[in-house]
Amino acid sequence: MHMADALISPVVGGAMWAATAGVAAYSIKKVQTEMDEKKIPLMGVMGAFIFASQMINFTIPATGSSGHIGGGLILAILLGPYAGFLTIASVLAIQALFFADGGLLAYGCNVFNMGFFSCFIAYPLIYKVLMKKEYSTTRIFLASVLTAVIGLQLGAFGVVLETLFSGKTELPFGTFVLLMQPIHLAIGVVEGLVTAAIATYIWNARPEIMEKASSGETIGNISIKKVVAGLVAAAVVTGAGLSWFASSNPDGLEWAMIKTAGTAELEATGGLHQQLSDLQSKTAFLPDYSFKASEEEPEPSGGEGEEAWPAVDGGTSTSGLVGGSLTLILAALVGGGISLMKRRKYRINS
Amino acid sequence: MSHHKLEAKNLHFNYPDGHNAVKGMSFSIHHGESVGIIGANGAGKSTLLMLLMGVLFPNQGEVCVGDVQVTKKTLPMIRQRLGMVFQDPDDQLFMNTVYDDVAFGPRNYKLNEKEVEKRVLNALEVVGILHLKDRAPFKLSGGEKRAAAIASVLSMQPDILVMDEPTAALDPKSRRRVMELLRSFKHTKIVTSHDLDMIYEMCDRTIVIKNGEIAADGVTSEILVNAELMDACGLEVPLALQNCPVCGSKK
Amino acid sequence: MANIADSIYNMRLLDDLARQETLIHKLHPLVKLLTTVSYLTVVVSFGRYEVAGLLPLFFYPVMVLALAELPLKPILLRILLVSPFIIGIGILNPVFDQQTFELAGKEFSRGWVTFLSILLKSGLTVTAALLLIATTGMDRLAGALRILKVPRIFVLQLLLTYRYISVLMEEVARTLRAYSLRAPKQKGVHRSAWGSLAGQLLLRTFDRAQRIYEAMCLRGFAGEYHSGEINKISGWDWAYLGGWVAFFVLARMYNIPLLIGSLLTGVIR
Ligand SMILES: Nc1ncnc2c1ncn2[C@@H]1O[C@H](COP(=O)(O)OP(=O)(O)O)[C@@H](O)[C@H]1O
Ligand SMILES: [Mg+2]
Repeated sequence: MHMADALISPVVGGAMWAATAGVAAYSIKKVQTEMDEKKIPLMGVMGAFIFASQMINFTIPATGSSGHIGGGLILAILLGPYAGFLTIASVLAIQALFFADGGLLAYGCNVFNMGFFSCFIAYPLIYKVLMKKEYSTTRIFLASVLTAVIGLQLGAFGVVLETLFSGKTELPFGTFVLLMQPIHLAIGVVEGLVTAAIATYIWNARPEIMEKASSGETIGNISIKKVVAGLVAAAVVTGAGLSWFASSNPDGLEWAMIKTAGTAELEATGGLHQQLSDLQSKTAFLPDYSFKASEEEPEPSGGEGEEAWPAVDGGTSTSGLVGGSLTLILAALVGGGISLMKRRKYRINS
Repeated sequence: MSHHKLEAKNLHFNYPDGHNAVKGMSFSIHHGESVGIIGANGAGKSTLLMLLMGVLFPNQGEVCVGDVQVTKKTLPMIRQRLGMVFQDPDDQLFMNTVYDDVAFGPRNYKLNEKEVEKRVLNALEVVGILHLKDRAPFKLSGGEKRAAAIASVLSMQPDILVMDEPTAALDPKSRRRVMELLRSFKHTKIVTSHDLDMIYEMCDRTIVIKNGEIAADGVTSEILVNAELMDACGLEVPLALQNCPVCGSKK
Repeated sequence: MANIADSIYNMRLLDDLARQETLIHKLHPLVKLLTTVSYLTVVVSFGRYEVAGLLPLFFYPVMVLALAELPLKPILLRILLVSPFIIGIGILNPVFDQQTFELAGKEFSRGWVTFLSILLKSGLTVTAALLLIATTGMDRLAGALRILKVPRIFVLQLLLTYRYISVLMEEVARTLRAYSLRAPKQKGVHRSAWGSLAGQLLLRTFDRAQRIYEAMCLRGFAGEYHSGEINKISGWDWAYLGGWVAFFVLARMYNIPLLIGSLLTGVIR
């Protein structure tokens, strides 16, 4: 459930980055102060393990299909929530950079969806509570499946909210939820079952690993509260700051707020955008430039606070088509030209 | 140079699961000696090296480097003088370029970057892989990895070089190169191996380990020809010392 | 990410590409990171009906690709691999946005425009991220993170993860090969082996982490990670950053293709 850059707005991306950075900073502090430095290589290599283990296809009984694990839960179980969260964060960073799985702007969203919910909500509130009394095979299975399912449901819901707040798709909320949640219910069950199988094996083979992971962690009520509070604060501050910045762009947060409030406020008012369009009209060198007109007369339709539909008349569309093709051709020419020059230089040199 | 002496006094070690891997070993190694430690799989060679390096601490007995006992407190000092090359170079080359890896040790001792560079280039030069300095470790061949791992220890300029099976899984040419490399290291060398031909060529002295105990300790050329001892310890007289398979003549 | 050989190949390819010595490769890693982030922000900030305005932003990846002498094919392949998800979400736009507009005398659903916009953005953002790593490499990018004051622990951990991916992937590949040779008719790993197969790999990973930790300690590691010095940002580096950011801002403020287009069509008219 990697979010892609193309599906989010800068406001949502920025807010989630801030929230993720906050949790990560707190986790790093915890790892530094509460644990030995032995955990660092362990976290590093476990991240690589998660990567590698995602290559294993597990046959799902009675369905004929197979699935793989995300790994968030097993990390939380074996490393504890803080180190687990950081490990997921580095796995996702490498996935974003090398495999284009989720983008750099969406990185905050992804770490939050796949790391925060399983490590800081599902793990302490469900897994830890269920496993408090005793370790047994059935308990491990029950706790793992429940934790995985709830963690993934929360994560999937996060994806829905982030996408809708970003306003890039036309998917209605209900439809999106109905698309996402059931799929992730199935994924969660598989994740839980496989995680449980691994955890049981480790518990039988090297019980001290599991004991160490669960005893070293002091997830008291205080720290969880602190984490959540710091997080909400960070998200709100950045979100507010960024949306003030983008205040006239009815993209993103504002779009969602308008939508929920049910009032359509179409006029682009004040702020950066106004100044930009002022500047634009001053410097526009074509008097009959139709783009300007479209800025000033947003199409009075939709009623959902949609952004201005830029192509008002056929003339603009045609201009866009012509100019667009030209731009692309120019880009291709420049790129091709540079490559050609470089190649010629090599030939001369060699 | 007595401060280069390495001494093990009645070492005992149990793993946390209760397995008794080292049962009362004692020996002392002087400066400039090259010592081979041989024994079957699971005899306790790697465990012994860990004890010497202070990665593990004995349940009983002590290890001394020079006049200093190896304890948690003296570790930083001890580790500057002992360098260890691990059996699997992938465990040792944990950074993303050969250069950074060889620089890891010197940087930890807070040398300035100029000195670090000098040491790194020097170490890479010695093992002959200067041209690989910007490579990622996963793109090296087995022999190159081994050389890089040795360089990463040499850059710390140790007085004693400890190596766990340095020629394991190497092709003949790479094995030969590693052996030449080791021969060029003038200080104390301690090498574990099943490669008895290598031990025969490289080490003057050999310690044989069997089930966590020292079965023999003496001059290599005498120990390795002792077929009875070798057999009892799960080993075999090196090929170089066996009867010639073609003409049957005694070597 | 299904195929182990492909994934390892992909990482090695990007690593190889990053070790070239072109104009772009020699730029300061932090400057490349900042340029990429500004680029992504600008691309993503375009409204959902915007298509023409996005086109000038093609200049950035095209220029970097050419100047850095990167091969086009593997990058395009990556973009195609990511597209299914984007298409999956975007394809519903034409279904839900039924309002129409006119182009070249024909009626189109507006949903197609938003869909096209998403596709363009996806292509541009994916390319930009890949270009960053293909011209910088993980170790230098880690240096940039250190300048940005990202804590040492995290940077070291990130580097270790990157370092051991190929080692562990090969280990997984060997294990799976051994499994499938003795279970030829199974598509995946049977339930009875879930725990033991993955669990053993995990235990080996734990042991490896322990050995790595020992190797680190033997070379003086005490919880602190010291990276080497990183070059200063030069005037040329700043100029590169400044130039691109100025271009991005211009492209965001003015719909350049529309300007060109109206100029041309105006002249013709
Ligand atoms: N971490 C460990 N826990 C328990 N037993 C171990 C551990 N490591 C090694 N052993 C046991 O200690 C003995 C000696 O191992 P080792 O020193 O690695 O042998 P060698 O290097 O000579 O092959 C073996 O029987 C091995 O099974
Ligand atoms: Mg061994």
